[in-house]
Amino acid sequence: MKLRLLVQLGWRNLWRHKRRNGILLGGITFAIAAVVLANSFIRGMQVQMADNAVDLMNGHVKILAPGYLDDPSIAQSFEVAQDWRPDALEGITSDMVAGWASRVRVPAVIMSERETRGIQLVGIDPASENISFVGKLAIQGEGLADAADRRVIVGAGLAERIETQVGRRIVLITQGADGRNREAGYRVAGIYRSDTSSLEKIFVFTGRDTVQDLLETNVVTELSVRLTEERFSPPLLQRLANVFAGLDVMTWQQLDPTAAAMTAIIDVVILVYFFIMMGALSFGLVNSLVTAVMERTREMGMMRAIGMRPRSVLLQVVLESTLIMGAGIAGGVVIGVLAYLPIADGVDLAAFNEALSTFGLSNVLVPQLFAQDVILVVVLSLILGFVASASPAVRCMKMGPLEAMRR
Amino acid sequence: MSEEVVQCHGVTRVYADDAVPVHALRGVDFAVHKGDWVSLAGPSGSGKSTLLHIIGGLDRPNDGSVSVDGEDLGGLSEAQLSDLRLRKIGFVFQAYNLIPVLTAVENVEFIMQLQGIGASERRERALGILDRLGLDDIGDRRPGELSGGQQQRVAVARAVVTDPVLLLADEPSANLDTATTKELLELLRNINENHGVTIVTATHDPMVMGYAKRPVNLRDGAIESDGSTADASPDA
Repeated sequence: MKLRLLVQLGWRNLWRHKRRNGILLGGITFAIAAVVLANSFIRGMQVQMADNAVDLMNGHVKILAPGYLDDPSIAQSFEVAQDWRPDALEGITSDMVAGWASRVRVPAVIMSERETRGIQLVGIDPASENISFVGKLAIQGEGLADAADRRVIVGAGLAERIETQVGRRIVLITQGADGRNREAGYRVAGIYRSDTSSLEKIFVFTGRDTVQDLLETNVVTELSVRLTEERFSPPLLQRLANVFAGLDVMTWQQLDPTAAAMTAIIDVVILVYFFIMMGALSFGLVNSLVTAVMERTREMGMMRAIGMRPRSVLLQVVLESTLIMGAGIAGGVVIGVLAYLPIADGVDLAAFNEALSTFGLSNVLVPQLFAQDVILVVVLSLILGFVASASPAVRCMKMGPLEAMRR
Repeated sequence: MSEEVVQCHGVTRVYADDAVPVHALRGVDFAVHKGDWVSLAGPSGSGKSTLLHIIGGLDRPNDGSVSVDGEDLGGLSEAQLSDLRLRKIGFVFQAYNLIPVLTAVENVEFIMQLQGIGASERRERALGILDRLGLDDIGDRRPGELSGGQQQRVAVARAVVTDPVLLLADEPSANLDTATTKELLELLRNINENHGVTIVTATHDPMVMGYAKRPVNLRDGAIESDGSTADASPDA
C-alpha cells in the first residue's frame, strides 16, 4: 500500500516538470537506443572476427604435427585414415559437428610465363571445404571437382600479379620431405575472389591427392574440425588430444591469438562504451534529481513531519529516478531494435575494405542483436539510475523534517 | 485533574550553531491536559515555536524530558518519532501544508495511506471529514487551485482525520486574512469542543490566543504566565 502511494507520488512528481523531465527522458531514450544499436554493430564485428578466424581453414579445433607452425613443411605431417570422422569419438555426436577437412598445406613457388611468386599451396578435398572460406569463394571459371583434381585455383590478386588467367598453365615448385624440390605444371581452372584481398595473393588451391602425388606421400599437414557451436570445443579438444597423442591439438584461439584477443576485447569494449554513454547521461540524471529534491525540500520536510519515515522519503526519490529510467530504457530498447531491424541482414562497408581486412573483417558487416546484450544494458541502466539517485535521496533522508521545512 | 496528554520537565534547548549560543528554552516545565486548547504566545525568539516543535518530536531538547500520551520522546529514534507523529499527532503548519501533486481528498487520505488503512475506508473517512468541515465541494482540486484559507482547512481535515491525541498548529493564521482566520479558528474550536481534540498552537496572533482556552506566554525561553482565558474569545 505504501509502495503504491510512493509510486503514485513519484509518477505525479515527474509530470510536475514536463519539459525538464521530457528532455531527460529523451536523453535516456536516445542513449539507450544508441547503445543497443552500437552493441549490435560491435557484437557483429566480434562474431565476424571469430567466424573469419574459424573460416580461415582453422575450424574450431585443428590438428597439426609438432613444429609445423614454426616450419610449415611436409616434413611436419601425419597420417589420417580415409574413413576417420570426429563424430565417431566418444561423447561427440553428429549434431555437434558441422564438418571436417584434412589438407596438405606447404610453401611453394608459382611460376607463370612472366612472373614468379611465393605462395601457400593447399591441397584440399573440395567436398569437405564447406567448413572454411574456400567453400564460399566466388570463382571465375571452374572450381575443383574433387581431391584428385589436377587443376589449380588462384586468387584474383595473384593472377593479376603473375599475369595469368583461366585456362593458362602455371608451374608449382615445392620441397618434399626428403629435401628435394618437386615441380609440376598445372592448368588454372578458376580465379577466386575473396572479401579479404590479402588471401587472394597467398593461397593457391588444388586437389589434396594431387599435392600428395607431387610430394610422393600420403600424409596431410592439418586436420580441421568445425563445430555447430563454440561450446562443444572443450570436449572435442580433450577427445582429439587422446586420439592424436603426440600431435598438436589446438583451438582457433590458439592458432589466431590476435583475432582471439580482439574478440575478447570486444566484451570489454561493449561495457566501456555503455559506461561512457550512460556515465555522461547520469550527470544529467543526478542534476535533474538534485534539482527536483532541492525544489521540494520543504514539501519533503512537511511529509516527514506528519509521519513519513526517512526510509520512505529515500524510496520515493529512488522510485522517481527508477520510473524515468524505466520509461527511457523501454523507449530506448524499442527504438534501438526498430533501428536494427532494417540493417539486420548486413551493412555494405566496401568503402572501408582496406581497414576492415586489417581486422579480419569482410566488406559486409552483419549486426548481431543478442538478448543478453539488451538485458545487460537494461540491468546496468537501472543500477546506474539507482546509484545516480542515491546521493540526493540520502541527502534528503538525512535532513531532519524541521531543517528541511526551514529551507 | 484530567489526563495529561503532554508533559515537559526542565526542557532546555540551546542552538549552538552560531558563535554565540542561543538559549531558546530554559528549563520549561509544562503540561497539556486532554481536551485543552493551549495557545503558546510571545514575541519572536521567545521559544514558543521551539516548544511546539519539541512537543511534536520535530526537535530534541538538550536537556529535560518530554512525553506525549505517556510516551517518552527522548528514547525514540527518528523512525520511531515519525511513527509517533503518524499515530498520535496532527500537524498544521504556517505554509507548505499540502502535497501539491495530490488533490484535497488525496491529501487528507495521505496519512491514512501511511498508516496502512484500506482504500475504501480511507476514502470514506476523508470524504466524511471534508463534508463535516464544509469542504466537500473542493475534494478533487489540487492545492494550487485552492485559496490559502481552503488549504489550511484541508490541512486541518488531514490533521484530525485519524483522530490524533494532539493537534499542533504552528502560526496557522500567518498567511490568512481576518475573515479566513476566523473561519479557521471556528473550525478548530468545533474540533476541540465537539470532538475533544487537544490543541496546542504557537502564534503571534491575538485572535488565535483569544480562541484558546489556556494562553501560555513565553519570554526569553521561559514561561512568563500560564492561565485560562476560556471566555476571552472575540465572539464571547
